[in-house]
Amino acid sequence: MVSKKSTSVFGLLAMNKFSYEQGELLAEAFNRWHVEYLFIGKSGAIFYGFPETTQDADIFPAKNPANGQKLISALRELGYNLTPEIEQDLIAGKDFVQLRGGLFDLDLVFAPDGIETFAEAQSRSLLIDGKFPVASLDDIIASKRAANRQKDRESLPRLEAFRDYLRSRNLIALPTNPSKS
Amino acid sequence: MNSEFNQRQEWEREFDAAARRSLRERMRFSFIYTYKPVLDDETYRSFDTMEEYREWCRKNLPAYLGYWR
Repeated sequence: MVSKKSTSVFGLLAMNKFSYEQGELLAEAFNRWHVEYLFIGKSGAIFYGFPETTQDADIFPAKNPANGQKLISALRELGYNLTPEIEQDLIAGKDFVQLRGGLFDLDLVFAPDGIETFAEAQSRSLLIDGKFPVASLDDIIASKRAANRQKDRESLPRLEAFRDYLRSRNLIALPTNPSKS
Repeated sequence: MNSEFNQRQEWEREFDAAARRSLRERMRFSFIYTYKPVLDDETYRSFDTMEEYREWCRKNLPAYLGYWR
């Protein structure tokens, strides 16, 4: 495990709450650098309309050196302070990388539990609101079930009920802007 | 059985309410920030494997954060 101490985490609390606008910034930077990625985890489910709270954005990047290099460029553009050590980890595609203290908190999960390959997950993913690539709800659920942490076990029944709710209404996600629909 | 049904109905009312909001609003309500001890005390961590990450969570994080298996 590699880690780096925070010097001013509390001073950064106000700025690292993920928002729609920050999601747009991330999507624009990642698109500019052609990063292959998906939103995953509870943050991914929130894009589908799942009414639940979470604290950070979980990103599932494709695990290969070229994508790692693109990711570094995009994260630098977003203002993350990447040391040579972090860059090395991103290029190597370590299974789990946690970044705090940047524009917003990011968990980079290169090998999420319960998902075989990025390509398979990407083939089942959806582009929400025309800009946010999100792993399928089935993959998000499969990943949480495989991770099997206490917090996953607690959220799974409600998440599965949400997937069933969408299906019962022939929806793949809740409308992204109901006021205009 | 009845309480399960009631729970499901309550969730569906919440999903209906969420459907009346825009994605921008839903995200504003959904992403919150609460300081998480240990987890938020470092700006960077990386793990070679998910197993190594899970083991680190088990050894270092308080149980109430919910990261234990």
